[in-house]
Amino acid sequence: MILGKVALGFLGAAVVGGAMLCSDGFVTVRVNEHQPKGTHLHLVVPGALAPIGMKFVPREKMNEAERNVRPWLPAIRAAVDQIADYSDTTFVEVTNSSEHIRVSKVGASIVVDVEDPGETVHVSVPWRTIKSVLRELEEAGPSA
Amino acid sequence: MKRANRVLAAFVGVILFSMAGVALAAPPERWLHVKVIDSAGGETVRVNVPLSLAEKILPTINHGNLHNGRVTCGGIELNGLDLRAIFEAVKDTPDNEFVTVQGRDEDVRVAKQAGNFVVHVHQADKSKEKQEVDVIVPMAVVQALISSGTKELDLVAAIRALKEMGDATLVTVHDGTNNVRVWIDARNTSE
Repeated sequence: MILGKVALGFLGAAVVGGAMLCSDGFVTVRVNEHQPKGTHLHLVVPGALAPIGMKFVPREKMNEAERNVRPWLPAIRAAVDQIADYSDTTFVEVTNSSEHIRVSKVGASIVVDVEDPGETVHVSVPWRTIKSVLRELEEAGPSA
Repeated sequence: MKRANRVLAAFVGVILFSMAGVALAAPPERWLHVKVIDSAGGETVRVNVPLSLAEKILPTINHGNLHNGRVTCGGIELNGLDLRAIFEAVKDTPDNEFVTVQGRDEDVRVAKQAGNFVVHVHQADKSKEKQEVDVIVPMAVVQALISSGTKELDLVAAIRALKEMGDATLVTVHDGTNNVRVWIDARNTSE
């Protein structure tokens, strides 16, 4: 009976933990190098882990990243806050003889696709994750 | 009978409520589109931006001459014409042709036409590639653009004015290898 309650507690914690991890959606990274023995990477990570991962980035690196992105933080924040209101669309698309680059909104994520003769890259980041990352960056700023 | 009346009243209420919802629904989002085709380089660039997004983002950017949604500028020139001075001069005048330059290699026309500020440049210099530039900006947008003073162009005010406009092509540029088009409509994709 006690064992059953403990198991139920574990199960409940696992379900709640899993739900929390998945609440921000998933960051997807796919890299396929078009060459023999090229890299074929397919990574799916819960978006909620990104800000946790940033806690382990060395302080000076975070400060440097914050310095670089600081002028654009308000603009990125405004864009991310607003973007949920729009239907799925492609914001920017560049096509030339060798490359195809696309930045689009798909569901709750910002998706960047790059195709060139050397590789295909697909990155999908939920905007809730972007918001969390921005918050971490802001906290890494000089006022933090 | 009473029950039938109540059902009918509820039915009419639902219909009226739905109609009010349709009437009060937000107007469709307006999108700014830019399409650049460089046939020499074989490159096509498409940009689709919701005007409301631009309206929110521009005031947050403080970089170079852009501050709080306004561009600081002494004068905007197009082929030697100070566009800002012309905007100021023509904003209250009736439709007219203000500048006409007809040269051997270049024609320039600046006019106010059907509520739009129109600039047309045709360049056919033999040493260069033929080039056609058409800029058509609604006067309301022009007025919004110059509303913040003599040294600034208020981009956010112009975007707000653009949001009130119907579908329109604002800029087209054609030369030997490049085609550029800037337009607004309610679609979230380029054609």
